[in-house]
Amino acid sequence: MGIQSRKKMERLADIFSFSAVVLLALLVLFPLWWMFRSSLMTNPEIGSLRFFPSRWLVQNYPEALEVFEYFKYLGNTMSILIPCVVFGTITAILCGYSFARLYFRGRAFVFGLCIASLLLPSIVTLIPLYVGWVRFLGLGSTYWPLILPYLTGGGAFNIFLVRQFIMTIPKELDEAAKIDGAGSLRILVQILLPSIIPAVIVVALFIFIGVWNDVLLQTVYISNSEQYTIALGLRRFNGSYGTDWKLAMASTVLSILPGVLVYLVGQKYFVEGIVMTGLKS
Amino acid sequence: MAVTRVKPSAMARHEARLAKIYLIPAFLGLTFLTYLPLLSVFVLSLFKWTAIMPKPLYIGFNNYIRLFTKDMFFWTSMRVTIIYALLTVVGSVLYSLAVAMLLNRSIRGRGLFRAIFYVPYIIPAMAIYMIWGLLYNKDFGVINALLVQLGQPRAGFLIDSKYIIPSLALIAVWTSGNLIVIFLAGLGSVPRVYHEAAEIDGATFWKRFVHITLPFMSPIIFYNVLLSLIANMQVVVPSLIYAGSNRTTYPEYTFMSFLMYRTGFINNELSYASAISFVFFVLIGLFTLVLFKGSKNILFYESGGN
Repeated sequence: MGIQSRKKMERLADIFSFSAVVLLALLVLFPLWWMFRSSLMTNPEIGSLRFFPSRWLVQNYPEALEVFEYFKYLGNTMSILIPCVVFGTITAILCGYSFARLYFRGRAFVFGLCIASLLLPSIVTLIPLYVGWVRFLGLGSTYWPLILPYLTGGGAFNIFLVRQFIMTIPKELDEAAKIDGAGSLRILVQILLPSIIPAVIVVALFIFIGVWNDVLLQTVYISNSEQYTIALGLRRFNGSYGTDWKLAMASTVLSILPGVLVYLVGQKYFVEGIVMTGLKS
Repeated sequence: MAVTRVKPSAMARHEARLAKIYLIPAFLGLTFLTYLPLLSVFVLSLFKWTAIMPKPLYIGFNNYIRLFTKDMFFWTSMRVTIIYALLTVVGSVLYSLAVAMLLNRSIRGRGLFRAIFYVPYIIPAMAIYMIWGLLYNKDFGVINALLVQLGQPRAGFLIDSKYIIPSLALIAVWTSGNLIVIFLAGLGSVPRVYHEAAEIDGATFWKRFVHITLPFMSPIIFYNVLLSLIANMQVVVPSLIYAGSNRTTYPEYTFMSFLMYRTGFINNELSYASAISFVFFVLIGLFTLVLFKGSKNILFYESGGN
């Protein structure tokens, strides 16, 4: 095969892959567009093949807010989400730092237990944890069973992430500070923390995604509709309202907005974080 | 400058004490949220305990006997869970590897495309199943509108036994954009010289894929398969949403996690649900073990292990 024809083949392959990528990207975005266009239509029109609404019914949104108590649900979701993100990130940093820098006997063993817990499917311990939180501690119909687990480093994975990140920082940096008499907490906050900011953001984002995504735990622990989160509020559309699709889709659009905003702001870190988790472990 | 010298042993003791203080959260989490509950799953499964019983009653392995011999849902649930997990794992890994390889060519707007493929991953699960609930709907869904346009009969993608699992698996594949990002990073680390050398020798695309790309990517593929398997075996949310309200539900929605949820929280048989949990734990453990054993021969590391 000559250089000329090989170049031609290359170009053909480029055109092919670009078209394939565009086509796939459109397919991936299609469900989201369909949600949005349906949120602005009448119910009969939703069932048609129309790509755009014949009239853009913006009033579907105020109407949706009457049955879908968005701001209450958002407030409830935030009162779970914010403590989880704050406490989860802080404890993950403390634990990750200890595993990376502070030596004690049995450290390898405890760290091994930590890593092994990554392979444990979380659903296996659902029943005993429920028994513990609700029957023993009497914390049923409160948010505590959803928040308290994040006071333990927000999961072994986040601890592992912070540890890996701190280990890439030269030890001489904190040794020098130690000789100058700095305490370990000061070393962590003043010297290490500024250099692990990306990891901190990634951990915070992962905790956010985890809580934001959750359906099962909220279903198990929240029964009072006054305490409903966005996920639980959205779920009611499948039952009590006989699925009024235009209102269901308007509510769905509203409920993905905060996450999309966080994604747009933290996009760079999201991608970095995913890469970090995929390659460093 | 006078530096107060601390005896190493005293300093080490001080360090160890600090470490233990900082690690209190991890100790608590590992003890009370991980390993103790894991033990309790097994212990609880040896008892009979329903909502109306104040105290559990020891019944040995009776829950397991009931599960394996009398429960009409159990074997079905195991079957549909495994089928669903295999479909989603194979589907998402193939899909994301293919997209990553396409994006890995020097394509214009690569960052934008990467962001687009990643978007489904950040949509919360409840919203995802609402959206697909509409797409798949028998009367209002776009797929059925298309079928009608083509003169075909309408299909109940979420209510017809033969379509349920593939339909749910497609949703899972759609959300697997995070794998694309991982694969893309992996592909970026495959040295270009290998590809160039092979190209000069006239190796076809397929040959280069099998002999260069795959070996370099094998640890990442393994990692993705493992994580994807553990995550998808635990599938429960589609059942909660699509089948949660009616108790006599389609067997295709009775995934093991859903069976456990229904047994424990709707039928209030916490100890029997624990038996299901424990069997589920053993099953995933076996799958993980098989994956690790099987991967020993396939995995390839650039620097000979690490």
